[in-house]
Amino acid sequence: MLKPRQMSHLFITGSKNQMEPVIQELYRQNVFHIEEFVEQTMEGYEGVKIGTPLPGASEAASKLIRIRSIENTFGVKLEDVMPQKMVPVQQLRETIDTKLSAIVSEVEQIQAKKSTCEDAVKDLEQKINELKPFAAIPLPLEMYSGYQNIAVFTGRVSKSPDLIVPNETYFSHAKEGNFIAVFAPAEHSGKVQLSLLQANFAAVPVPKGEGVPQDLLNLYTEQVSAHKKEVVLIKEHLEAMKKEQIEFLAASEELMNADVDKAEAPLRFAMTSEAFLAEGWVPADRVDVLSDALVKVTGGKILVTVLPIDFEHDSVPVEYNNPSFSKPSQVLMDVYSRPTYTEVDPTLMISIVFPLFFGMIVGDVGYGLIFLAMSLGLRKYLKGEAGEQLLTVLRNASISSIFFGIVYSEFLGFAIPGWNPVLYSRHLMTEAGGHGPNIPELMVLSIWIGILHITLGRLLGMYNHAKQDHGHHRTLAVMANFGWLAVMWGIILAIWSSAVIPLMPNLTGLPVVVSVLNVGHIIGGVLILVGIILIARESILEVIELPTIVSHVLSYARLVAVGLSGVAIAMVVNYMSIEMFISPALENFTIMSIVMILVGLGIFLFGHTLNIALTLLGGGLHSIRLHYVEFFTKFYKGGGKKYIPFGMKRRFTED
Amino acid sequence: MAAELVVATTDLAMIQAQQAGMKAIGAGLAVGLTGIGTGIAEMGIGAAAVGAIAEDKDFFGLGLLFTVIPETIVIFGLVVGLLLLFL
Repeated sequence: MLKPRQMSHLFITGSKNQMEPVIQELYRQNVFHIEEFVEQTMEGYEGVKIGTPLPGASEAASKLIRIRSIENTFGVKLEDVMPQKMVPVQQLRETIDTKLSAIVSEVEQIQAKKSTCEDAVKDLEQKINELKPFAAIPLPLEMYSGYQNIAVFTGRVSKSPDLIVPNETYFSHAKEGNFIAVFAPAEHSGKVQLSLLQANFAAVPVPKGEGVPQDLLNLYTEQVSAHKKEVVLIKEHLEAMKKEQIEFLAASEELMNADVDKAEAPLRFAMTSEAFLAEGWVPADRVDVLSDALVKVTGGKILVTVLPIDFEHDSVPVEYNNPSFSKPSQVLMDVYSRPTYTEVDPTLMISIVFPLFFGMIVGDVGYGLIFLAMSLGLRKYLKGEAGEQLLTVLRNASISSIFFGIVYSEFLGFAIPGWNPVLYSRHLMTEAGGHGPNIPELMVLSIWIGILHITLGRLLGMYNHAKQDHGHHRTLAVMANFGWLAVMWGIILAIWSSAVIPLMPNLTGLPVVVSVLNVGHIIGGVLILVGIILIARESILEVIELPTIVSHVLSYARLVAVGLSGVAIAMVVNYMSIEMFISPALENFTIMSIVMILVGLGIFLFGHTLNIALTLLGGGLHSIRLHYVEFFTKFYKGGGKKYIPFGMKRRFTED
Repeated sequence: MAAELVVATTDLAMIQAQQAGMKAIGAGLAVGLTGIGTGIAEMGIGAAAVGAIAEDKDFFGLGLLFTVIPETIVIFGLVVGLLLLFL
């Protein structure tokens, strides 16, 4: 909680012949994050090289490629397959070779058949296209050629040509252009060409073959549909095969993936002529279990050492360590950046504050219920860890929206009947006698939230610097963070002493010291001065950032402003649909009223759908932005390396 | 005397109405102008973010976030508008 999981730096050494059992055990335990070895030319590294893969690596890799190509033919991905039952590894290893080659050859045959059919269809369609213009002319194809004294012209024209020489002409109108076939004595072919050119003649070659074009067309069309039917059958066959083999394929892919990972692990180790050296990270509470297991599988012929962590040079992989209710918020952290090993992990704070901010912005029972339904309903479609985490975050946020909806007394922009807002109201249009919106109070409340949130951020910043930095710089950095706090509270004190603000302490009555300045002003001024000096001591350039103190605090006013804009849209939609269409229609009911009611309902649905989208986007983005921009910039750096243990979560296979 | 009083009250009503109108115009200007400012600021960021997302889809979350950073400007406008109308 608030800290990443404790890690230990482990160093495993043994002779080369112990490497395989060690890799098997490391893979099985699934806790060892391998620190990749990089070849070095420094003194002391002579003879230490990157390891070579275990035997069988290329074989497993080629099997993996075959499996993936079949899966590609079937159009499936390993992640989308739902495991039915676990396949024992031993059984799979015995059958994988024969079964895989059987499937591969069957799939190849089917594919070949399918592509033959598809090629034939393409070929026939080409022929059909060539034949189509000739179908309108009742001449068999062989009549177009084989003359000695007669020239034949076939092609498209824009109009019927004036032929002044003796000829025989067939002409047909068609949408795509007029088609003409001219038979004329060969000695007049020049004249015929000239008149045809005047009619914008474009030649169309006569297709090869014999027979009447219309008959040929019918024959080809029949053949096309026969081939297409066959393709459909082949596809059905493939689909049936996919259903039958999918589990085997998924299990084989998992097994081969594991084999490849294991066989290639030595590429990440260092190796000498006789020994191997593996460096990596293990959660501190798992070190004993892992080293005992390693000693056991090698019969004690191995050395497992825990190295001290050198925070200057080592980049420790980071694994979150959060209570289960704040785990979904890790997705929000990963979008920004994973925390580094030494800093405070703010996931817990986000998991509490984000839903509160979201609820404050949305604050509507109706919308909250819709979001809740969305977060539960979308689970079917949004697969994967990140998607599920995001939906859980939305679920928490929607529950908070319902809570704030009750506090504000809002349901789809209406007031909840018989229920007054607790504390403050956001109702913009109120009945006579009801109380209007308490905007100033809400604004000040949001500013208070900002002041507290930023103060927390600065305190965490002081803690982080105290923990991460060393020597003189540490003192300067911690004091600078204190300086920022001092300036902020100095400004606040000065404002309290100058003006009366609802919900804030009134210090205007403090004893006056000089002219109009009272004790509050003096203390505030001193705080601001001290703060600026402390900030400038760390970095003089930071002083130009001073206005952000005011803008960041005021930025929290969005908690009310964005929410109010949502309320305004909802109320306008309600007003338009009910006051302008539905109520007048009901008062004086005629046939037209039905249309008006329908229009009113349409406006209601469209308006609220739009507002739901806007509220979701606004509520989510602004809440998370307050964290990323206003809160995190005070203390959080991020950039931690993700902890990826060597091994895998098995879904299809078991030992 | 009575006529003068009537004139004075209508004047007062008119002045009040004018003041309310001015407030509304001010609120409108505050929201509208800051909206334009936000739009101009988001223009460049949005274009760059879309470019970055085209290169790497993982950038979507951060890109969306960068794009809404200038939203603060219009929020301030909205705050000023609300305070003008309701304070």
